[in-house]
Amino acid sequence: MNVKHAKTIAAKKNEDGNKIKFSDIIKDPAIRERWEKVRKFFFLRESTYDMTNRCNIRCDGCYYYEGEKQFAKENGTPEQWRSLVKSERERGITYVVLAGAEPSLVPRLCQVCFEEIPLGCIASNGFKRIPESVGYKIHISVWGNDETSLRVRNAKHLLEKQIRNYAGDPRAVFVYTFTRENINEIYDIMEVLSKQDGKITFNTFSAPVGYTGKLRHDRQSLSLTRKTMMDILIKYPDNVLFSPYNVVAHTHSSSLHELYGCSYPRMNPSTDIGLGRSFRQYRTDLSWDRSASCCVPDTDCADCRHYAAGSAVVTARLYRHATDAESFKAWLDYVDTYLAVWVMGYEKGESLLDHMTPPPEFAL
Amino acid sequence: MPDKKTILRVAEILIDELKLEDITPETFNPDLDLVDELGIDSMDLTTVVLVLQDEYGITIDEEDYPKLSNVTLIAEYIEEKLKEK
Repeated sequence: MNVKHAKTIAAKKNEDGNKIKFSDIIKDPAIRERWEKVRKFFFLRESTYDMTNRCNIRCDGCYYYEGEKQFAKENGTPEQWRSLVKSERERGITYVVLAGAEPSLVPRLCQVCFEEIPLGCIASNGFKRIPESVGYKIHISVWGNDETSLRVRNAKHLLEKQIRNYAGDPRAVFVYTFTRENINEIYDIMEVLSKQDGKITFNTFSAPVGYTGKLRHDRQSLSLTRKTMMDILIKYPDNVLFSPYNVVAHTHSSSLHELYGCSYPRMNPSTDIGLGRSFRQYRTDLSWDRSASCCVPDTDCADCRHYAAGSAVVTARLYRHATDAESFKAWLDYVDTYLAVWVMGYEKGESLLDHMTPPPEFAL
Repeated sequence: MPDKKTILRVAEILIDELKLEDITPETFNPDLDLVDELGIDSMDLTTVVLVLQDEYGITIDEEDYPKLSNVTLIAEYIEEKLKEK
């Protein structure tokens, strides 16, 4: 539990002036059903792993090529990886996120991880297909239309290649990162992706420490991103894994850390319980450093609206949302979305809220 | 030392909410460390906290969660809160 950022949330009252009880909130059958559905996954405990310091493309604003981690020596020995992941399982880790720089370049290591911990996700640019035997979710990053991809990522026909590699693959979730520059390009992407029945979720560009480039959001671009996300949610309900509360959390003028208090070790000194206790972010040399550990290291926390961060940070704030039915529905929608994006076989239900609602103690 | 009735009720809530098997409130070791020995995580603890708040009509702040590391300490905490009411 993040003690530093623990907050006392004012209790909300019902029409009779009494504090709203949690047991009353979950009396609503729709809420109760969703609560029982998501709580089965409270056993998930993640850590993240940089698999290789190589990548086959180089993107503006890439968090991997910031800070010290990019210089860690690469350990490509499958048996050493197996030993690490086994020890991770033994200390209670049940979910792995294989990330930097490009895990598809080391498929054998991905396979070893899958054999030891069968729940997880791989963050990939989708250029190279990861073998089907690796049964993790695969998050394929999309940063705009092909013209933008060529400019920002130096990658030709990237979406075409991504779709060729992953069309119809139940592991695949396309992750569209909204930058300040590419907001309207989501419409081009959706036109193509919806024809392939692809699933997509949204990310908001979160600047690495010291980044001052063109992709960094400002208030105006966050506001436009919010409107656009809501529009796409309505237009493509079968393709988009997101909810109105996700939109709020990831386009708010305040960062995730300001809104919810980040629970990752880098910002959370407590080792009592939760992510502050269990989460580690391993570098390619299999070392880790508590003071740098978070899901997107070297991101500027004051600008962090990253989808991976929210999946843990918002989800961990059950207590703050269990104040009334509306807030709790919003939280359930968020967790339901998170599970559909990250866990193989989990199906997202219809959102309980069809409109945006503010985070606890904040305005919209 | 908290009242035995409180201890048993807290143990019962933990058993129900965490769906623990092969254990009863009477056989639950009240000094068992919930995180280190039982392996519960923050989401489980929050769920238990929400049920305890309803049951006893108290508010348990997030910053107090680290104090709730075993059944005896939870029962003591509840009784303190009830005295403050």
